[in-house]
Amino acid sequence: MAGTGSNAIIDSEMMQFAPLIILLPMLAFPVILFLGRVFNRNPFWKDTMKEGGIIALVVMAASLIISLLLIKDHIGGFAGIKDSVDFLWLNSSVYNGGSLEPISFGFGIYIDHVTVMLLFVASFLCLLINIFSIGYMNTDPINDNRNHRFYAEFVLFCSGMLGMVLADSFLWLFIFWEIMGLCSYLLIGFYYEKPSAAYAAKKAFLTTRVGDVFLMIGLVMMWDLFGSLDYAVVFDEANIAAVAAESSGTLQWALGMMFIGAVGKSAQFPLHVWLPDAMEGPTPVSALIHAATMVNAGLYLVARMFPFFGAEALHNDLVDLAFIIALIGGITAVMAAAIAFVQHDLKKVLAYSTMSQLAYIFTGLGCAMFLANTLDWHNDDGAHYIVIVAFGAALFHLFNHAMAKGMLFMASGSVIHEVHHAHHHLHHHDHHDDEHHGHDDHHEDEFDAQSMENMGGLASKMPLTATAMLVGSASIMGLPFIGGFWSKEGIIANAWRVALEDPRFFIPAICVLVGAGMTGFYMSRMWLKTFAGKPKTEVAAHVGPTNTWIKIPLFVLTFVSLSAVLFAGMGFTHWAPDSEYGLMSEKSLIDGIVYEMNHAFANSDAFFFILTYIAIAIGAILGPGIALSLYGGKLAEGEKVKPWMKPIIRLNSWVFDRFHFDNKSLANSGLSKALANRLYFDHYYDLAMLKLVAGFSDKSAETDKNVVDGVIKKIESGSQSISKVVRSMTTGSARDYILMVSVGALAIFFLLWGVA
Amino acid sequence: MSGVENIEPFTDGFVSALCPELVLFAGLILLIIIPNLGKGTVRIPGTQTRVMWLFGGDRFKLTSNPRLPAWIATITLGAAFVLTMLSFQDGVDRAAIVTDSGKQLMLVNGFSRVFELIFFGALTLAAFASMNRLEVRGIGPKLSTNDLYNNRRQADFYILMLTCALGMSVVALAQDLFVLFIGLELASFSTYVLVAFYKETKAGTEAGMKYFIVGSVASGVGLYGLSMLYLWAGSLQFDVLASQFVINGTDPLPLIGIGFVLVGFGFKVSAAPFHFAAPDAYAGASSPIAGILATASKAMGIIGLLRMLLIVAAPEASEDGTVWLTLLGILSLVTMTWGNIAALGSTNPKRMLAYSSVAHAGYMLAAITAIGAWNWDDSLAGDGGESAVAVLTALIFHLVVLVAFKLGAFLVLSILESDGDASRLSSLGGLAKREPFLAVAMFIFMISLAGVPPLAGFVSKLLVIMGIVKVAIGQMGAEIVAGGDLGLADVHWVWWLAFAMVINSAISMYYYLRIGVVMFFEEAEEGRSGPLPVGWQVRFAILACLMATLFMGVASDKLLEICEVAAQSLNYGWN
Repeated sequence: MAGTGSNAIIDSEMMQFAPLIILLPMLAFPVILFLGRVFNRNPFWKDTMKEGGIIALVVMAASLIISLLLIKDHIGGFAGIKDSVDFLWLNSSVYNGGSLEPISFGFGIYIDHVTVMLLFVASFLCLLINIFSIGYMNTDPINDNRNHRFYAEFVLFCSGMLGMVLADSFLWLFIFWEIMGLCSYLLIGFYYEKPSAAYAAKKAFLTTRVGDVFLMIGLVMMWDLFGSLDYAVVFDEANIAAVAAESSGTLQWALGMMFIGAVGKSAQFPLHVWLPDAMEGPTPVSALIHAATMVNAGLYLVARMFPFFGAEALHNDLVDLAFIIALIGGITAVMAAAIAFVQHDLKKVLAYSTMSQLAYIFTGLGCAMFLANTLDWHNDDGAHYIVIVAFGAALFHLFNHAMAKGMLFMASGSVIHEVHHAHHHLHHHDHHDDEHHGHDDHHEDEFDAQSMENMGGLASKMPLTATAMLVGSASIMGLPFIGGFWSKEGIIANAWRVALEDPRFFIPAICVLVGAGMTGFYMSRMWLKTFAGKPKTEVAAHVGPTNTWIKIPLFVLTFVSLSAVLFAGMGFTHWAPDSEYGLMSEKSLIDGIVYEMNHAFANSDAFFFILTYIAIAIGAILGPGIALSLYGGKLAEGEKVKPWMKPIIRLNSWVFDRFHFDNKSLANSGLSKALANRLYFDHYYDLAMLKLVAGFSDKSAETDKNVVDGVIKKIESGSQSISKVVRSMTTGSARDYILMVSVGALAIFFLLWGVA
Repeated sequence: MSGVENIEPFTDGFVSALCPELVLFAGLILLIIIPNLGKGTVRIPGTQTRVMWLFGGDRFKLTSNPRLPAWIATITLGAAFVLTMLSFQDGVDRAAIVTDSGKQLMLVNGFSRVFELIFFGALTLAAFASMNRLEVRGIGPKLSTNDLYNNRRQADFYILMLTCALGMSVVALAQDLFVLFIGLELASFSTYVLVAFYKETKAGTEAGMKYFIVGSVASGVGLYGLSMLYLWAGSLQFDVLASQFVINGTDPLPLIGIGFVLVGFGFKVSAAPFHFAAPDAYAGASSPIAGILATASKAMGIIGLLRMLLIVAAPEASEDGTVWLTLLGILSLVTMTWGNIAALGSTNPKRMLAYSSVAHAGYMLAAITAIGAWNWDDSLAGDGGESAVAVLTALIFHLVVLVAFKLGAFLVLSILESDGDASRLSSLGGLAKREPFLAVAMFIFMISLAGVPPLAGFVSKLLVIMGIVKVAIGQMGAEIVAGGDLGLADVHWVWWLAFAMVINSAISMYYYLRIGVVMFFEEAEEGRSGPLPVGWQVRFAILACLMATLFMGVASDKLLEICEVAAQSLNYGWN
C-alpha cells in the first residue's frame, strides 16, 4: 500500500548514481564561486562561460539526466527504499529502554512515487530556470561581474531542493530544507546594497524561521516517539502501530508542528507575508525559484506524512489535523486570491496566485488525508480508489501548478526584461547622455518596469511570451482541457466529497469553489492588462521580442502545460500516489483520455456532475467574464496578433465595448484599500513585533548588559589577575625553572617514599 | 607477543623492517655530503700532481644552491613518511630487532609506526615550511664570505631536523632503556640547537640556552631514574622490567626510579611543574620549530610515559598502582588548569600557544590516568581491554590530528615572523584583510584547538572524554542500564578528570577566539598593512594542515582504525 512496507525494493542500477544528483550541484557551488573570483572580468569567462552559467547548466543537465534515468526505472514499478551511500560522521550509542543501541547519522536515498514526481519537477524546472537565467541575468548590465555569485547560490539551492526530495530521513530533509532557506535568503538579497532587497531577504528568512522552529520541535517529538527519523523506521506499519498504541495524540501534535514548518515554507496563512516581499527581490529569477520550486517543499513535507494518515493503526486518529490542513488551505486560497485582485505589480499578482494555488493543493492534501484516515481503504477497493484519486489530484495539481507558474514567472520576467530594455532605449534616445549608461541608472529612474499600469497591448509585440502567458493563465484558472483543469476539478470534487462526510469541511470546500472564480478573474485581469488593449505608456509601444535563452524554457513549458491531458490520460493521478494501483502504461493513451473526459464531463454521480459544471461556470466563465468587461479592449491600430490569440482579443473587445462598467466605487472602497495593503497583515505583525518582541528585547538587553555582562566581566578580570599571578611564576630565569623541576621531583620522591 | 619476527641487525629482513629509518639515515649522509661537493682537488703526496676528488673547493652550481639542503631534507622526510604509510597497507609488520643473544632492542609494530607517522609528518611540513622562514642571502657561486657562511647554515639546520627525526623514531621503536635514552637524547639535543638556531636574536639564543639547561636537569633526573631501575632489575629490557614489577613492584627503588623517569618525560610533554622552560623556548624559537616542539616532541614524551607507566610499571592490577594513579591525576589536573589559566592573559601568540600546549599535555595525562585506572582497578577492568584501548586510541588520534592544527597555527605565525614580528597579539591584527586565506586558516586551527565541531580537534577531544567516562563508569554501565540506582559518587574518580577537561575547554575558548577577534576585527599594526612575504611552500603546508583539520573532523574512520591497531599493539595483553 501507498509508500510503506509492502513494496518490494527495486533493484535499479541507477541507484548508485543517485547521490550525484545532489552532489554535482553541491560541488559546482564552490567551483563557480572560486572560478568567478579568479576569472572575474575575463572575456572568455564572461561571454562564453556566461560567468558560470554554463557550468551550472551542465551540472543541472547532468542532474536532470540522472534523475530521468532513475525515474525511468521506477515509472512502471513500485516504491523502493534503498541505501545507496553510507556516509557516517559520528557513531555513538544511546541507552534506549534498557539496551545499548548504536546511533549513526548516515545518508541514504529514498524513492517512492512522491519522490519521483517532485524529483522530476525540481530537476526539470531547475534546468529551465538555469537556461532562462542565462538569458535574463547575463544581459542586464547591472549584474555584470557578479553573476557567478548568482549561479553559485542557484546551484546550491538546487542541491538543497533535490537533496530534500531524495533524502531518506526527516533529519536530512531538515538539513537540506535549511540549505534551501539559506540560499533563498542569499538570492532574495542578491542586490544587498538595495535596502528593500536586504529587508525582503531578512523578512523571508525570519518568517520561514518561525515555521522551521516548529518543524524542528515536531522532529524532536517524532524522534522521541520513534527513536529515529529514518523513513524506513517511521513509516513502518509495525512501528506506527506501536506508537499509536501508546500516544497517538502526541504523534498528531508532532505532525501538526511539522505542518507549521510546511506552512512557513509554502507561504500559507498566517506565515504568508514573506512571499510577496521576496518578489521585491529584483531578480524575477529568484522570484521564480521561490514561487515555482521552493514553496513545493512544504507540500512535499505534508505529502510525506501520508503514511501516518494511511496507517490502519491510526484510523480516525488524525482527522483534526487533516481538517486543519484543509482549513489553512481554504482560507489562504480565498485570501490570497482577493489580494491579487488589486495588485498592479505583475510579479506580485503571480506571487499571490502562487499562494492561492498552493492553498488548493493543501486543501487537496488535507481532504486526501481525511479520506485515508477515515475510510477502510486497505481492504475496500472502492475506498482505496477514492483515497488514491484524492491524493493523486493534489499531487497532480502540484505538478501542473509548478509547470504553469514556472512558465508564468518566466514570461513575466521576459515582459519586465523587455519593458525595461525599451525604457532604457527610450531614455537613452531622449537624453543622448552616455553617463546615464551605468549602474546608477537603475537606482535613479522612477519608472516601474514591473507595473502593469505601464504595459498593455504587448500581445502583438511579444507573441511567444503572450502565448505562453495565455496558456499558463488558462492552466492556473482551470479552463477545460488545459493543464490545471484536470487536477483542480479533482481537488474541488474531493473537498465536497469530504464535506458531505464531515460538515466542518464545508468551509474549505466553499472556499475552493469561490476561489476558482476569483482565480479566473485575477488571472484574466493580469493577462488582459498586460497584453490586450492599447499600450498605456510610450515605453510599452516600443517593446521588442525576447532572446533565445528565454524563449527555450517558455516554449518547453507551454508544451508541457498543454499536454497535461496526456498525463491525465496516462493515469497520472493514480500513479502519483501509488503505482501498484495505476501503472502509467497500463492502458492505451486514447482510452485513458476518453476515460478522463468521461470522468470530468459526464460523471455518473449526479452531485459531482453538477458540481463540475458549477465549477467550470464560476472559474471559466464568470470570473474571466468580469475581467473581460473591465480590462483590455482593442489593440492599437495596425497591430497584428498570432491567429490563435485573435479570438481572445476579439472576444475581449466585444465584451469590453458592450459590458464595460465603472468599478471606481468598488475600487475605492475600504475593502479594496485593505486588500491593497495586504489586509494589514504586515502592519499588525510589525506592531506586534514592536510591542512584544522589541519590549522584551529591550529588557533582555538591559539584563544582559548589567547582570550577564557584569558577571562575565568579573570572571574575566578575576581570571586575568589569576593568570597574571600564574604567569609571573615563569620568571624567565633558568635558575627558577630548575628550582621548580627540583621541587616537582622531590615531591614525587617523597610521595613515593612515603608510600613505599 | 606472538607473531613477532626476530631479526638480528644487518640480516635478512632488517632493511625492510627499518626501511623509513634507513632512508632517513641515507638522507642524513647525503645532506652532509652533497652541499660539500665541489671542484676540490688533492695533491698526491710527494708529487706536484693535483687530482680532482670533488670534495670541497668551489662548489658546483647545483650544490651551491642554498635551497638544496631544504629540498633534500623535505624529500627524505617525505619519503620516510610515505614508507611508514605504506607499511600500514598490508598489515603492519611486527618485527623485533634483537641482539645476537636474543635481547630485544626495538619493536616495529602498529604503535611505533603510527608515532613515526606523527614525527615524520610534522617534520616534513616544518622542513618544507622553513624554506620560507630561513633567509637566503644570494644565490650563485660568487658570494661574499658572510653570505656563503650564512648559506652553509642552511645545511646545518636541516641536518638537525633529520637527526631529530631519527632520534624520535628510535624512541618510538625502543624496547630497551638504553636505546630509549639514546633516541631521546639524540632528538633532544637536536631540538636544543634548533631552538637556539637564530643566534642573531638575543631571545632565540637565551631561549635555547634555558631550554638546554632545564632540559639537561630533567634528563639527568630521568637518567638517574633509569639507572635505579637497572640497579634494581639488573636489566634494561622492558619485558624483563615488567616481569620484575609483577613480582616485587612495591619496592621503593623501582617506584622512585619510575618517579624520576616521570620527571624526565614530564619535561618533554611540558607537564606542570616541569613546563616552565617551554613558553620561553616556544617564543624564542622560529615558529616551525616551536610547532615541532608542540607536536612531535610532545608525542615523543607521551611514548616514553606510555612505555614506562603502562608497560613497565603496570602489570595487571598491582595493588600499589593507586599511588601512581593519584600522582598522575594530580599532575594532569594541575597541568591542564595551569596551562589554560596562564594562556588566558598571555599577549604573545606563541606563548599563548605554548600554554595551550601545556593544557593539552594535561588532557593527555588525563587519558593516561584513565588507562592506568583501568589497569590498576579490578572493578573497572571487566571488559577485556575494550575501554583501555578506546582511551588509548583517542589519545593517539589526538596526537596525530594535533599535528594538523597546532603545527598549522605555528606555520601561520611563521609567515608573520618573516614579515617582522609575531610576538604580540596585535601582530595578527588585520590579517583578514592582509591575507584572508591565512586568517581563515588560523581561525579554523584555533577553533579546532578549542574543540569545535565538526573539526578534527572536536572529534579527538570528544573521543578522549568519552573514553575516560567509559573507563570511569566501567562495569556500572550495565547496572545503570538495568535500572541500578547509581550516582556520581559511585563512578571512579577519573570521571572528574573528564569533567575538568570540559571546564578547561570552556575556559580555553576565551583565548582561542580572541585570536579570531584580533584577526578579523582589529586593524593591522602601524606600517604593517601591506601584503605578507611571499612563499608558496609555507602556504602549501598550511593548506595541507587545513585540509587535514577539516577532513579528519568529518571522515576520521580510516585514521581511527589505524590508531586502534596502534593502541592494541602497545600491549597485546589487552586483546
